[in-house]
Amino acid sequence: MRKFMPADELARDERFSQTTQRDRMADARTTVVLNGDQNRRSNNRLTPERNDASEAARALMHGIFVGEIQALEGAGRTCWDFTTGEEAPFALKLDMARQAWDEARHVEISCKLGDWMGAEIGQYVENTVLFEAACSNDPVLRLAGVNRALEGLAIDVFTTMKEFGEIAGDPYLEFCEDWMLADEVTHVKMGSDWLRKVTENDPERRKKALEFQNIVDKMFSYGGSRSESDESSLGIARRFRELAGFTDSEVDYVAEVSMQALNERKAQIAERQAAAAANK
Amino acid sequence: MAITVSPGTFDFVSFDAAYIERIAGIVAGQLGVTDIDFSVEIDETSALNRISTDASVTPVRIMVHSGAFEDKRRPRQQSEIDTTVSLARCMLRARDRLRGGFASAPTDTELTLAQAAAWDTYIMARLSRIDIPVNKQAWHYNWRNRHGFNDHSDAAFERMWQAESLDWDQLSSASDAARSVSA
Repeated sequence: MRKFMPADELARDERFSQTTQRDRMADARTTVVLNGDQNRRSNNRLTPERNDASEAARALMHGIFVGEIQALEGAGRTCWDFTTGEEAPFALKLDMARQAWDEARHVEISCKLGDWMGAEIGQYVENTVLFEAACSNDPVLRLAGVNRALEGLAIDVFTTMKEFGEIAGDPYLEFCEDWMLADEVTHVKMGSDWLRKVTENDPERRKKALEFQNIVDKMFSYGGSRSESDESSLGIARRFRELAGFTDSEVDYVAEVSMQALNERKAQIAERQAAAAANK
Repeated sequence: MAITVSPGTFDFVSFDAAYIERIAGIVAGQLGVTDIDFSVEIDETSALNRISTDASVTPVRIMVHSGAFEDKRRPRQQSEIDTTVSLARCMLRARDRLRGGFASAPTDTELTLAQAAAWDTYIMARLSRIDIPVNKQAWHYNWRNRHGFNDHSDAAFERMWQAESLDWDQLSSASDAARSVSA
């Protein structure tokens, strides 16, 4: 079986269509307020109060569904891509196997929640950026990218969805997201623990892994879709991140790069929209 | 009947104004509103999935953010189905306002979330009966988000879905009654 599967060769049937983060960022349209435009909402946080709450929640649920597939693929590949003992300890692989089992369950749960919300498999495009972060050829970087950054994002997403279900009074959504959230906290914790353990006597490698994690964290802010600003759909779940082993300064860092990503995206969109207006 | 589409060309999305106009003409024929003039105004700088209608002016204004016409599988590309459904929703809402007993309804921006969901349910159910593709479960979920996740709310949704002829007072009363149980 092939090792180090590239993101563009992931197995999908004809229902799925995929895009890359580069394509997504090339979209100069916006969902946020620019130049005080009152026609746009100033608050993008995903709550039931939004006019388009049902559609937005459905789209996010589909994003969770494909994200879980990619997380399953990432954890599964870690079990296979690295030689046991030499490149990755057996116990680390065992944790990744357990994570793959969890992610498979999450895929099923998300699929059923999608049905409940009226979504169809493949109704929305799949962004393969999550798996791209799981393609590193160093298992420690893989852990930093997948278990710390990707699963950290999952904590933020599940917290938002759990709160959405709670406010809307949707018992299934609230319950399922709460259970999946508990798993994600465990996955981040596993990443944090293994990162420390494997790099115990290799500070240079640890530094490299944390740098990689920072890059991925900014990438996963999706141009500001996640930040502590109300202009972002997703918030940062500080409490659950703490439970997962993030230090205060690490959470502050995620908040900072997310805000940076939001501001950069807004500036980029404003520039492109001004250029288009000038050409009219 | 006159239908105008603006802008005529698009910079942010790959939409086709002439194609939108053709679809609007077909939908108007299906809904029996060929005697009404429409102006379809697309905000291509917004990716939101938002539509609204102003039936108090001539031509009736249909205001669309580009996400409402977009193929969600192929970002920035136009979807024939989404264009059809979004235009049909707006045109049927305009027809309700102009001659369907909804003259006293608040403007689109003044509708409560529950009223908007109830009206959308009534609209989408009628569209499904003229073979416009509608995902009933998605509209049921929207109803539940606004009227509660319980059996009483589900029964009210079914009655709304089956309704053939309602006016604004009947629709808003049904919505209020469904919400009162959840509250």
